Amino acid sequence: MRHANRRLRLLVAVFAVVFAAAFARVAWLQAVKAQTLDRLASSQHREELDVPARRGTIFDRLGVQLAFGERATTVYANPKQVADPREVALAVGEALDLDPGKLYPLLADRSRGFAYLARKADPEKAETLKAQAIVGVGFYPEERRVYPQRTVASEVVGYAGTENRGLSGVELQLDEVLAGENGSRTIVRDPFGRTIDVVESTAVRNGRDVYLTIDNTIQGYVERVLRGTRARWGAQSASAVVLDTKTGGVLALGVEPGFDANAYSAVARSDQERLRNRAVTDTYEPGSTFKVVTVGGVLESALVAPSTKFRLRYEIPVADRIIHDALPRGTLTMTVSQILSRSSNVGVVTLAIKLQRERLSEWIRRFGFGRRTGIDYPGESRGIVLPPSKWSGSTIGNVPIGQGIAVTPLQMAAAYGAIANGGLWLQPHLVDRVEGDKPVEPKERRVISQRVARQLTRMLRGVVEEGSGTTAQIPDYRVAGKTGTAAKPEPTGGYSESRYVASFVGFAPASRPRLVVLVTVDEPRGAIWGGVVAAPAFAEIAQFALQYLEIPPDGRQAGGE
Amino acid sequence: MATPVNRVPQPTRAQAAAWELGAFLRHVDYLLLLATGGLVAYGLWLLDAVTRNDVPGDPDYYVVRQLTYVAVGGLLLALASAVDLDVYRRVRVPLYGLALALLISVFVFAEEVRGSKRWIELGFFNFQPSELGKIVLVVVLAGFVADRRQRLGEWRTTLGVVGIAIPLMVLVFKEPDFGTTLIYGAIVVGALFFGGAPWRHLAVLAVVAGLTATALLWFLPSAGLEVLEPYQRERLIGFVDPDIDPSGSTYNVNQSITAVGSGGLDGRGVANATQTKFNYLPEHSTDFIFSSLSEQRGFLGASILLLLYAVIVWRGIKIVAVARDLYSAIVAGTVVFALLVQLFINVGMTIGIAPVTGIPLPLVSYGGSSLLTTLILIGLLEAIHVRGRLAGAR
Repeated sequence: MRHANRRLRLLVAVFAVVFAAAFARVAWLQAVKAQTLDRLASSQHREELDVPARRGTIFDRLGVQLAFGERATTVYANPKQVADPREVALAVGEALDLDPGKLYPLLADRSRGFAYLARKADPEKAETLKAQAIVGVGFYPEERRVYPQRTVASEVVGYAGTENRGLSGVELQLDEVLAGENGSRTIVRDPFGRTIDVVESTAVRNGRDVYLTIDNTIQGYVERVLRGTRARWGAQSASAVVLDTKTGGVLALGVEPGFDANAYSAVARSDQERLRNRAVTDTYEPGSTFKVVTVGGVLESALVAPSTKFRLRYEIPVADRIIHDALPRGTLTMTVSQILSRSSNVGVVTLAIKLQRERLSEWIRRFGFGRRTGIDYPGESRGIVLPPSKWSGSTIGNVPIGQGIAVTPLQMAAAYGAIANGGLWLQPHLVDRVEGDKPVEPKERRVISQRVARQLTRMLRGVVEEGSGTTAQIPDYRVAGKTGTAAKPEPTGGYSESRYVASFVGFAPASRPRLVVLVTVDEPRGAIWGGVVAAPAFAEIAQFALQYLEIPPDGRQAGGE
Repeated sequence: MATPVNRVPQPTRAQAAAWELGAFLRHVDYLLLLATGGLVAYGLWLLDAVTRNDVPGDPDYYVVRQLTYVAVGGLLLALASAVDLDVYRRVRVPLYGLALALLISVFVFAEEVRGSKRWIELGFFNFQPSELGKIVLVVVLAGFVADRRQRLGEWRTTLGVVGIAIPLMVLVFKEPDFGTTLIYGAIVVGALFFGGAPWRHLAVLAVVAGLTATALLWFLPSAGLEVLEPYQRERLIGFVDPDIDPSGSTYNVNQSITAVGSGGLDGRGVANATQTKFNYLPEHSTDFIFSSLSEQRGFLGASILLLLYAVIVWRGIKIVAVARDLYSAIVAGTVVFALLVQLFINVGMTIGIAPVTGIPLPLVSYGGSSLLTTLILIGLLEAIHVRGRLAGAR
């Protein structure tokens, strides 16, 4: 029995070791590893799934779809589960019209558990693939952004990327409104992957629809005219802005060459430049179209009247420079009206000198230059306007005639819009209303009095009727406008002898203005004059838009003013 | 009528029985009984919570059945503690024959359940002969060794013990039930150890067992001879390297460890114990009940369980010391050792320190055969205690 007692003590030792080991291990798991294992336990039966929100549709002002979401199916693979990558590559390639040679490396890479085979594929084709029930190939629904108008209005609408987030244009500007908010749901699964319970954690909030001020028909026509103009003059690019003078709404905003928003990524690779809406984001030296600022300023300041006469030589010295008119002439007496309609550089500079730099600067500001219009479009430029403190002695001879100053086409169109609208500047905007919101009230600001606006309009009508802009005439309608021909600044300083921006900006019907149209043509070849290159395009666009919008004529045949 | 003088009054039969009952009751190990009762009650409470979601529409399905087994088991415990152990010693040959016959009958009658034949269906109860075999093996080997107390140093005795056990072990192993086979092995070791077999013999047996295991796991399979079922082999190898295939052979272990760990100090509660609730943890009412308990009740709950076991084992060791003879001491020691091994293998596999072999947690896992067997074994301990105390008292 003593023998047994000794062995009993050994049993006690075994007992002690077993319990110590069990306690230690349990304590290790339940104290030290508890958090990790707790997360593991939760993660294996709970899965958070996004419930994607539908992205809002973008309509034009009449309800034509410019951008909408289409049902698509994304096809992915778990290479670890794919038994025969070659066979699967062939099957997927055939079903989705993809190159099996490109699919194979994705499927054969066993180191990864996930690979996209096709983002947003045609749902019907994906369905035929689904029917084959290939192990390791999965599907989930996605929304694919479609731009049914292709190139039309693409600069305005912009585009949304693969993840359905806006990357440019209105898609970017209103991304939050359009995107809505994804919901989420928690799925509780059993070990076999079967769903036990679905808990809606956050309700999905679909994106809201957006109605633009853009008119798809006018926009399309504008782009066609711009294409023709650019081709006719071999120009670098051409752009146009059509504004509704009563609301400030942008009816069309075209830039050529443009792009197809459905293929934005291919365009982005080849020509990033094209994706920008250069009518909003880029600036140019406006030239003569800018002269209304000085003339409007002196009239409003009551320094002169439209009929005030000036005796003007061909040249005028300003500080170290000599400013002269576009075409040589003898000394003439011109009224203020004639200075504008004949676009006399010497005359405008003479008026500007009367106004002086401080007040001129103030007028430039009031007409909306050097500051953003605040259009609902991303990346707007404010233009380049020197503050009076930085002016040199000769600046007063440059700026009034639209040199040494940079503006955006949109700023220029809005400034003429103010003249057309009786002196009241309206903020240009692209969004008419967002679903569920009240229509946007455009901001307004008085620039000049109604009287001066009328006086300027009369002068601008003169430009079209008998001045440099006769090619802008439209049958049955009276047109007011101004040509611009500006040499482009050389990167090395000074102005180019060959590269010009030709432009025309005007409004019609001049007696009761409804539309402002601005056309700029960058680096035309063969002719450089705004009156030759840009004004005919203006006439085409304005005539079409007036008739399309059924705006009553005010011209001669219709009975005059 | 002569008045009897100096006549010692003879107790009546009833008086004698009452006296014996009184002596019996005075010498019961109440601490052991209390710990056993506490563990069984605790087990029922755990089982109720663990199996709440297992049978749709009948949350009490398992616990009601287990209650029945507890009632029967209690009676069997009382009965076992009342019977003198010498009875088994005398009838050990027929007992051995019965166990052998039952284990063979498994292969004839048993329905295959998940690839193994372990249970004989009795209509009201699925009887598992290998559990009963444990008791038989304990008393048979103890009797065999005790009869040869003068020849314990001889190889004949040691090999005799092994020889008696092997037919039963092979039958159980072929069911297949690797876990129970291991417990049989523990019983063999316990009988030799407490019988006083020389260390030499034990060492040789250990080496042979080690070589056999190696052969079964690696050499024979690579020679194209599969003795183990593939799942058994994978589990055992998976124990050595649990990350080989987390969703395959080591799935159970990883889910079990996850369940234990996620319980933390005070448990996730019944409603939040998702490993158990959503059935990520397999066999959570039987083999893996310790994991479920740990998930639901945390370190606190697991500690209560382990402490109750500690009390039982501690009392068991005491009983080995008070046994009235070698035979009883061997039985008590073997029972305690086998319980300890079973406890370690079961708890150990759920926390990743022992291979997954599929044996129940004694007194807690759902299942009648295991519960009844364990309660009978506790009854044997009580019987040894009572008689050892009585012998010591005289």
